[in-house]
Amino acid sequence: MYKLILKMAWKNSFLRPARTLLVITMIAVSMSMMLAIQGLYDGMVKNMIDKNKRSGSGDISLYAQDYRVEKDIKYIIKDALKIKEDIQKLEGVKAVVLRLLADGLLSTARKSSFASIHGIDLNEEEEFGEFSKFLKQGEINLNKRGALIGIELAKTLKVRVGSKIIFSAQDSSGDINSIALRVRGILQTTNVGLDTNSIFVDIKSLHKFLGTSSKDATQIAVMGEDEKLLHVVKSNYSNLDVKSFLELQPMIKQMQEMMVIFNSITFFIVMSVVFIGIFGVVYVSILDRIREFGILLGIGMQYKYIRVQIFLESIIVGLIGYLGGAVLGIVFLVYLRDYGLDLSSFSDALEMWGYEAVITGTIKVSYFTSTFWAIITASVLSVIIPLRKIKKLNPIEVIKAEK
Amino acid sequence: MIRLENVNKYFYKDEPREVHALSDINLIVQEGEFTLFNGPSGCGKTTLLNAIGALDSIDSGKIYLDETDITTLSEQARTELRLTQMGFVFQSYNLVPVLSVEENIGFIMKLRGFSDKEIKQRVLEVSSLLKIDNKLKLLPNELSGGQQQRVAVARAVAAKPKIILADEPTANLDSKNSQILIDMMRELNKKEGMSILFASHDELIMESARRVVELNDGILVDDNRR
Repeated sequence: MYKLILKMAWKNSFLRPARTLLVITMIAVSMSMMLAIQGLYDGMVKNMIDKNKRSGSGDISLYAQDYRVEKDIKYIIKDALKIKEDIQKLEGVKAVVLRLLADGLLSTARKSSFASIHGIDLNEEEEFGEFSKFLKQGEINLNKRGALIGIELAKTLKVRVGSKIIFSAQDSSGDINSIALRVRGILQTTNVGLDTNSIFVDIKSLHKFLGTSSKDATQIAVMGEDEKLLHVVKSNYSNLDVKSFLELQPMIKQMQEMMVIFNSITFFIVMSVVFIGIFGVVYVSILDRIREFGILLGIGMQYKYIRVQIFLESIIVGLIGYLGGAVLGIVFLVYLRDYGLDLSSFSDALEMWGYEAVITGTIKVSYFTSTFWAIITASVLSVIIPLRKIKKLNPIEVIKAEK
Repeated sequence: MIRLENVNKYFYKDEPREVHALSDINLIVQEGEFTLFNGPSGCGKTTLLNAIGALDSIDSGKIYLDETDITTLSEQARTELRLTQMGFVFQSYNLVPVLSVEENIGFIMKLRGFSDKEIKQRVLEVSSLLKIDNKLKLLPNELSGGQQQRVAVARAVAAKPKIILADEPTANLDSKNSQILIDMMRELNKKEGMSILFASHDELIMESARRVVELNDGILVDDNRR
């Protein structure tokens, strides 16, 4: 019997093909747009997190206690080199780098600004986060007192590749020292803090300048997303200030949550459209066939079979719309993943907030599974009212009306 | 056997426009009878047919199908009764438009859970009797009115119900098709032995019926066996 009911449902779904195809198109287009928006939202946050991790904290950062509050090199991690080697042996660790940071004054002949100097090992940073990809102008070269400067800081100080700059800071013995540097390259990390006030120099030169031991560091950054790893590092180095990426960047956590809200709102709006679309087509279709249902009840067809038929009609429309939406959505998402959405005309505003001008999307299976269940739910819910109309139907009224 | 005892039915009861549609009807229809409820428009023949077919309720009295009082049954039980004991033929055919002739004829059998083999065999048998066996793969809208009504009759008789209730089955047919349909229904009545009850004022049916029950203003005025 159910095979026959399925056949009836299928044929009835396309009894008015133009109307049904319109609803299917509406579902497919709105769903694909929703998938594209979800992919873009997630892609924006993912890119921002990725760049922040690569250029800054990694997945886990270790500091000496109080360093993050005082920002003074007297709160340095002693024997950081040994800690780094030990962490590298832990399971789930992809890369570890040591960094030496100090705050000071960066000057040109005409201007000066507060700046943070980052001592880094270029080879390690390349392995850690493909550092060279942040280069906007010039070259990646820290030899002969070479320095790389954040793009916003370069604008503030009006320096270009080749400009000479002076960095002044207090060394480990408390004396104010200065070092002359030459700008070799300008970086854009979209990590707002780094772009607006950071310069990067070779870590060995910076140790020498600050009078610190080459075995020490102010930050140990670890790449490795495993939750277990964070737990192990925290317990192994309880004497240090060990923080995960999201603990260091609460703003990004908020942004992630905000994107979840945006996605949920988009999802809700699209599913409401789907619900209204299916409801409309099913309701009108039932009104068109109310006499047919009355007669079927009259000749002895049980209501349960009619209910199954109506559910199937609704699910057929929803599922075809879903399949169309999924195919279109994959096309959009693959395009956005591979080519991105170029928003260069809004680049200043986007980069100020840490987003890239070209936003690339992400693709997650969950987009499709959650949409699938939502469409099935919308299909099922949309027939409740039309079914109530049939349930209340008295066959004799239909038969009398016929006469 | 169908037995009606003091059946009364009102429309708009206790309102100024109250109509006494059936008035103290007492009637027995034996198995295999070919009966016509006849009378002018509004005399109550369709109301009587609907009451016997468990489609409509009555205000007082009893209607027995064999020993079962169908007036006391729940809605679900009445639906089940209509499915298993009765076959309906309506004025406007009322076939399922998306199903083929074959599927329409086998529809009630399918609902009743007959096997595909039984359905196929019976569809061939009935369609052959009604001379629509060459139309089985067509959709209802590809048939003429007379052919559609024959499909409706085939659907009604396919599952071998005890009673066939036909309300103005020839109203939308020309006299030639009406005659063909009536002849075929008589043939079925003879071969299958099921009771056939018509509500109609068609002269052709009146000529063919072996029993004519005359109604006027809801009152049974004559019961003529031939």
